[in-house]
Amino acid sequence: MAIPKRKNNIKVYQGNELMGRRQELLDKITQGDSYLPDSVLHDDLDLGMLDFVKKNFVVVSDGVQIPIIPKILTLQRWGEFTNTWNFSDLDGNPSIPFISVIRKPDVQLGTNPSLQRTIPDRQQFHYATVPTWNGTQVGADIYKIPQPVPIDISYDITIVCTKFRDLNKFNQIILQKFTSRQAYTTVKGHYVPIVLDSIEDNTPVNLETRRFYVQNYKFTLLGFIIDDEEFEVKPAVSRLFLMNEFIKSNNFEKKYLTKNLEITVVNFTADGVQTIFSVGETIGILFNTTINGLLQERGVEFNHVSLTSKISFVEPPREGSNVTITYYKGRSSVFIDSHGNVRQVSTEYFDYSGGGLSFTTVNNIDSVISLDLNGLLLEEGSDFDITGGTEVTLNGTPRIGSRIGITYLF
Amino acid sequence: MSKKLPIKRMSKFFSEEDFDFNVQIGQEYLHGDLNMKLVLYRVDTESTDTDAVYAEVGKDQIKFFPPIEFNALVKIEPPKNESYKPGLVRYIEPGNMTVSVYISHLQDLGVDIKYGDFIAYPETEDKVRYYTVSNDGKVTSDNRHNMFGFKPHYRTITCVPAQESEFRGI
Repeated sequence: MAIPKRKNNIKVYQGNELMGRRQELLDKITQGDSYLPDSVLHDDLDLGMLDFVKKNFVVVSDGVQIPIIPKILTLQRWGEFTNTWNFSDLDGNPSIPFISVIRKPDVQLGTNPSLQRTIPDRQQFHYATVPTWNGTQVGADIYKIPQPVPIDISYDITIVCTKFRDLNKFNQIILQKFTSRQAYTTVKGHYVPIVLDSIEDNTPVNLETRRFYVQNYKFTLLGFIIDDEEFEVKPAVSRLFLMNEFIKSNNFEKKYLTKNLEITVVNFTADGVQTIFSVGETIGILFNTTINGLLQERGVEFNHVSLTSKISFVEPPREGSNVTITYYKGRSSVFIDSHGNVRQVSTEYFDYSGGGLSFTTVNNIDSVISLDLNGLLLEEGSDFDITGGTEVTLNGTPRIGSRIGITYLF
Repeated sequence: MSKKLPIKRMSKFFSEEDFDFNVQIGQEYLHGDLNMKLVLYRVDTESTDTDAVYAEVGKDQIKFFPPIEFNALVKIEPPKNESYKPGLVRYIEPGNMTVSVYISHLQDLGVDIKYGDFIAYPETEDKVRYYTVSNDGKVTSDNRHNMFGFKPHYRTITCVPAQESEFRGI
C-alpha cells in the first residue's frame, strides 16, 4: 500500500506577520512619548488584577450583578468601609452576595519561566537608539534598561453568597477562563499571565449561625517590575578619535575637522612601494587626494571604488611623500547639512584653452570644497570667486592647457 | 380519634388545675406585664417556588401565610465581630434570639412554629429585625420544659438572624 501524501511544509505564518505583531506589542508598551516603557510597579500589577476581575468575573444573581469590591482590601479599616458602604445593610455590614479581591502582602520573587533565568548585577541592556537634534548637529541617545524583576503576587478572589446557583455561575466563569491554566491581563501594554492555583470552600456550616457560602479562588499573577529609576540614557558616540600605529615606518595620522559636516583628513607617509592606502573605514564621499599638496585626479592618478576604505595609486608615491586623503565617512554618498538639506559632492575638470576665465558646472554650487589648478589648490576670494549659481571665475589667467578641477557641494 | 391518656402523676401534690393556674399566672405576667410581642411568618412551602435542583429561593420569593402576632419571652445574645476572610471584610453578626413561648398560647392562636419559619422582632419603632428558626424546640421532654415533672408547658425556640437577601418581611 502506498504511503499517503503528506504536506510537510505548511506555512503557519505568512510573510513577516510575526515581526509585525512584535512591533505592535512594542508600540503598545512605548505608546507614551518617551521611547521607553512606562514603569510597571506593584500597584500597576494590582490594578491589572482588579481590572481583570471586574471585566471577567461578572455574575448576575436575581437580575442584578453581584458587586465586586472595587479596590484591593488592606489592613486599614476605613478603607474597607469606604469600599463596602454602598452595598451594606442597615447594620453596616456588606450585603451578601459580593466578590472581593484580597492580595497577600508578601510578594515573592517570580516563577515565570521566561524571566526566571536572570542575568546578575542588574546589568543595563540596549533598548533603543533615539535620534536627537541640538539645533546644529544630528546625534543620538542610547537608552538602556536592566532586565525586569520577576515577581509573583498571590490573590484571593472570594465570593460570598447565599445561593448555590451563584456559586455555579462564578465557578463556571473561572473554569472556562482558566481552562488552559492561565489567563492574561494587560498592564501598560504588557501581557501578564495569571495562574489559577486552587479553589477551596470556606463555608462555615453551623446549625446555630447565619448561613452563607464562602468560596476562595487562589491566583498567582506572574508579573515583573520595570522601574524607570533604573533606566539609563546616555548620548551616543558622535565623534571618534582613532589612532593607528604601524610597525613599519608608515606614519599614519588621522584628525577630524569639525565644520558644517565632519570631514576626515588622513595623512600617510609613503614608503615608495605601497600603492594602496586604507583609511580603515568606509569613505562615503571622497573629496580629494593629494601627494605633497598636489591634488591627484581620480581615474587618472589613482582609483577608488565607492564606499570602500582604500585609495589605489597607479604608481607608488615616492618614499617620504605625504599622502593626504580628505573624505566624509559614512555608508552613503549623500549627507545632510546643518540645515537638514541633502547634499552631494561632484568633481568636474576643465581644460583652459584661452578666452574667458569663467567655468560653468553641471549642478548649482552650494559651496566649493576645493579648486585646483594643475593640482595646486587655489584660495577662494583671492584666486577665484563663485560668480553665479553654476559659475566659478578665476581671478588670474592660467597658462593655456592648464587643467582646473572643481570639487563642490550641490 | 387520637387516644388520650390522663396524666395522674404527682396527683397528691399537683393537678391539672394547678398546672393551668401556674400557666395562667405566667401568661398574665408575660402577656400582660411584659407584653413582649413578636410576629411569626410561617413559610408557605406549597406556594413558594423553589429551585428545581437546589430547592433555593431568590430574593423576596418566599411566600408566607398571614403574619401572626404572638407573645414570648425574648432573649437576644450579644453581637459578634466577625469577618468573611480572616481579619478582612468585617461584619457584625447580630446575636441569636431565643424565644420562650407557652405551648397553650400557640394552641390558642392555632399555629405552630417550624424550622425555617421567620420571626420578626421590632427592636425600635422603625427597625424590625428578622430571624429564622434554627431550632423549633418541639422536643420538650426534658425537666426544664416540664412543670415539676407534670407536663411540658413552654417551648424554647432558637432563631438566627435572617439576611436581607433571604427574607425581609415582604
